[in-house]
Amino acid sequence: MRAMASYEPRTRRFTRAEYERLIDLGVFQPGEAIELIGGELMVAEPQGATHYTAIRKTAKALEAAFGPGWDVRTEGPIGLDHESEPEPDVAVVPGAPDDYARAHPSRSALTVEVAESSLVLDRQRKGSLYARAGLPDYWMLNLVDRVLEVYREPAPDSAAPFGWRCGRSQVIDASARVAPLAAPGSSILVSQLLP
Amino acid sequence: MKQAERPGLHRWTRHEYQRLIDHGFLDEDDPIELLDGLVLVKEPQHSLHRTAVLLVAKAVERAFGEGWFVQTQSPIVLDDRSEPEPDVCVVRGSPRDYVDAHPTRPALIIEVAQSGLRLARGRKAAAYARSRIADYWIVNLIDRVLEVHREPARPGPARRHWGYAAIETLGADATITPLAAPSADVRVVDLLP
Repeated sequence: MRAMASYEPRTRRFTRAEYERLIDLGVFQPGEAIELIGGELMVAEPQGATHYTAIRKTAKALEAAFGPGWDVRTEGPIGLDHESEPEPDVAVVPGAPDDYARAHPSRSALTVEVAESSLVLDRQRKGSLYARAGLPDYWMLNLVDRVLEVYREPAPDSAAPFGWRCGRSQVIDASARVAPLAAPGSSILVSQLLP
Repeated sequence: MKQAERPGLHRWTRHEYQRLIDHGFLDEDDPIELLDGLVLVKEPQHSLHRTAVLLVAKAVERAFGEGWFVQTQSPIVLDDRSEPEPDVCVVRGSPRDYVDAHPTRPALIIEVAQSGLRLARGRKAAAYARSRIADYWIVNLIDRVLEVHREPARPGPARRHWGYAAIETLGADATITPLAAPSADVRVVDLLP
């Protein structure tokens, strides 16, 4: 066969504006857990009890760590860029819920995803997306290994799915402590986040 | 992993796909098709591809004659999650029979493939076989041959996906008889630009 550029089929991409209109029009089935990630519509996995418990525990721990002046959102949309509107498991944003009555927050001071085995790949894609958007503090709560992976200092990397990755990553054991970048005076025991 | 193979991608139903068109997200003239719930952007059309489509349409129109019509790059309905637009397909009856709904079971589907050869042999062949399309041809512009796919077969120990059990590759000097037009002869050379 002669050499020839092979055409990889790609799906139609959607912008965030289109995605928000699709939601307003009620095109998706109610209860469909969909996120817009880099123009692609991704379906979230059905939520297990362990996964959800981890989300709740993380939210409570972060509420205590951040205190007033911050809002801890669970599975709430972030208007990240023109082709992305992810719904991180937990996100901490400045202000109060009313501040986002008209538009989703566009940045989060801390973003947490809870990961079980099968989804590590998708979570890594998300990590690259968050790095591209300049999110300063991204945590992946790894339920399989029972550790917290902390990703900071976004840096360009042409090999990453979205051209960016975190420049500094750290794996923190269940028995160790962590402080969010935006709440440096706090100290959270990782085991407090784990179900 | 190929872009369109990732498991987490949202799969559209035909009903949702129709709403995307109705609300103006997709234009009926956009080069897209719904295959297995994925809204795929079609292979870019080069003049060589377009020429082949026109040649194929002309040749099969002549071969099938009365009682059939030939449509090019128009939708057909395979199942709840697939509404592809094959390059050429031969449908029984007349266009007026399909005023209210797209055709569902063409007697012959032909894809012209250049850079999209892998898609034509892979995901598309699987979708057509699953819908029991009996006669599926690929005009392979790279090797200038016709690949004839017949005998749709379900997954089993020998195969992971639906596919065709009988695949034959014909050179430009061969002739082929469509399953649904047993007295016709189509020269492969007439299909090639």
